[in-house]
Amino acid sequence: MPSTPRPRRRTVLGGLLAAAGVPALAACSSGITSLKGGGENGGGAADSGAGLVIGTANFTENQILGHLYAEALRGTGVKATVKPSLGSREIVVPALEGGDIDLLPEYQGNLLLHFDKKAEETEAGDLQNALAARLPASLEALAYAAAEDKDVFVVTRETAKKHGLKSYADLRKADGELVFGGPAEDKTRVVGVVGFRDRYDVTFKEFKALDASGPLVKGALKKGDIDLANLFSTDADILKNGWVVLSDPRHMVPAQHIVPVVRSAVADAPVRKALARLGTLLTTEELSKLNKRVDVDRKDPDDVAADWAAAHKLNRR
Amino acid sequence: MHALGPAPYERQGGLTVLELLSHLAHWLTSPAQWSGSGGIAVRLLEHLRYSLLATFVGAVLALPLGLLIGHTRRFAFLAINLAGFGRALPTVGLVTLVFLAGGLSMWPVYVSLVALAVPVIVTNTYAGMTAVDPDVTDAARGVGMTGLQVLWQIELPLALPLVMTGLRLALIQVVSTATIAAYVSFGGLGRYIFDGLAQRDLVQVLGGAVLVAVLAVLLDLVLAAVQRSLFRHRPAAAR
Amino acid sequence: MTAIDWGWFPDHLGDMASLTLEHLSIAVPAVLLGLLIALPLAVVAHRVRMLRGLILGASNVLFTIPSLAFFVLLLPVTGLTRSTAVTGLTIYTLVVLIRNTVEGLDSVPSRAREASLAMGSRPLRTLLTVELPLALPVIMAGVRVATVMAISLVSVASYIGYGGLGQLFTDGFQRSYTTPVIAGVLLTLLLALLADAVLVAVQYLCTPWARHRTNAKGA
Repeated sequence: MPSTPRPRRRTVLGGLLAAAGVPALAACSSGITSLKGGGENGGGAADSGAGLVIGTANFTENQILGHLYAEALRGTGVKATVKPSLGSREIVVPALEGGDIDLLPEYQGNLLLHFDKKAEETEAGDLQNALAARLPASLEALAYAAAEDKDVFVVTRETAKKHGLKSYADLRKADGELVFGGPAEDKTRVVGVVGFRDRYDVTFKEFKALDASGPLVKGALKKGDIDLANLFSTDADILKNGWVVLSDPRHMVPAQHIVPVVRSAVADAPVRKALARLGTLLTTEELSKLNKRVDVDRKDPDDVAADWAAAHKLNRR
Repeated sequence: MHALGPAPYERQGGLTVLELLSHLAHWLTSPAQWSGSGGIAVRLLEHLRYSLLATFVGAVLALPLGLLIGHTRRFAFLAINLAGFGRALPTVGLVTLVFLAGGLSMWPVYVSLVALAVPVIVTNTYAGMTAVDPDVTDAARGVGMTGLQVLWQIELPLALPLVMTGLRLALIQVVSTATIAAYVSFGGLGRYIFDGLAQRDLVQVLGGAVLVAVLAVLLDLVLAAVQRSLFRHRPAAAR
Repeated sequence: MTAIDWGWFPDHLGDMASLTLEHLSIAVPAVLLGLLIALPLAVVAHRVRMLRGLILGASNVLFTIPSLAFFVLLLPVTGLTRSTAVTGLTIYTLVVLIRNTVEGLDSVPSRAREASLAMGSRPLRTLLTVELPLALPVIMAGVRVATVMAISLVSVASYIGYGGLGQLFTDGFQRSYTTPVIAGVLLTLLLALLADAVLVAVQYLCTPWARHRTNAKGA
């Protein structure tokens, strides 16, 4: 009867289980989840010592804004970590409501429409008041920035010439003929398929779900797979490709000043002050330049934000 | 192209599982959902097309490789480790890489799906070939058959059950993964999962997931039945 | 666009390291949790004839569901957190581990179990001291497959912001920048290779009785 191997086997097995258990427990706790001190890719909620968690949406500009917020906050001594590219607004706003993130760079008009699809306000001041009224109690929209980034719907010069397009109203002339491309959420958004139908009485031959002013939608527009593309006004590629931005006579797209949305519970005075100061310094041109540095010059959002913050003395008291 | 709106019912405190399931049943059965350019019928066919073509191309590449390695027993390490490599290769990364290299086309989808199918087919073909009783191949060589004749007339027929298993497993895995077409703007059932994520429409996501699972399971059952009936009367010449 | 920007690598050593750690912090718990749940389930499937088909069948069906779907469907439950990625991934490791554990238990010669019971050991003790150790090679093969698969699948969670090294894919995609994507693919492969090697070593250490066999099992 083999008596010696058995105890050894058992101890080995036991040791293995214990060895496995320890890192599992450690990993499950927040210990291993907050990584480097700079915290760019660290995790954990605000109460785990990582400071405020800034969530960002799935396009580069939002990540730049997130890092700018982090720089501003750190400048006033508030710890902050940035979570990159969490998803569309439909995903990140509920995460904010749920407390998984604390702060979000948002855009006035679209944010209001997310909570109230019937909202009619289009001017920055009205939007800010409307947000104060219609955001859930746990959230607050802080002072909005000078910078604005609107959704724009563009066509190529050829398409504009072919159908005589200068405004969204002109799209009526090609009703049902054009292919519209944008992020998947455009299908259900007022600033999207729904708005075109309700405000301009325009329908499309097809809606292609691509991305938010990213390589998919721009590639599709270049290739001719789509006729009308949802891009962002601060995107450098619009000018570069000579695309035509159609005008919006019936104000389907409300003002979209950058506005920090924060959980009221963590919105104390230093946070407000830091972000308000950032807001006054950040203009649309500055934001466009930052976008270009990241998208065209291939610099990282966190580096670009740090440089800008240093240049504008944002991250020093 | 979905019958119900997304976020509203979510924000009102979330759905119970029962509500979700009833919404899902409605989504899967409403005729509006099945028709049209974004309807379930179209997406199913797209999905099948991607899967069948990718598996076919994978088979064209992998079968000769597996047969050769199995027949010559050289480079056996390749057959054994290819499966591990295929498992380790992140599909999202490969799709992104091919997209950035080649632009907006189906290439990222097909390259990634074929890369998924090949290891499975190679490994199973190799396993099938090595399971052939060496006495049988020795005897065949003994009576003067050339290597190629041994391969075609002796080894391959005996290895066929495992080869077919490999093809079946590859197809099922490809069907499950063909959702990646949606990552680069194309169709297939992945569209429901991807769009559902962007719109936070859980019913759509669940619908897409269920459709993929049903498609995969059905294909698996059908192919397994075909396999069984084909090899029902086989003498057991493999080890 | 496809040329590698070699300067990217030295500038991003810190990012690569932290992303790798983040990647592991999702993959490792998923495998461990999967093992924790799979072992008892597999024992049940192995012992109870009627449940075997159900458990194995259910896990096979789960395996066909795309991983991204699991991550999204878990959002209302676990929120937009790392737990969502870990839990979704656990479903996959669970499936692989159940299959392999059942197979491993099946491969234990019944004589060994009978002998242990005949010597007076209770079934649980027999399971822990005879059956599981003998099934270990096949189970470890499953752990290896599950680990490699988990490391690869973490990148899918990049669509909800928790992709570990997969975030490099998102970053590269959004900026049409190939270099981070290449880095991400290579690092993921390397990580999987290392993890597999570690597990092979662990298996070697845990199965002294198998060392003398010329044909060690566990593909």
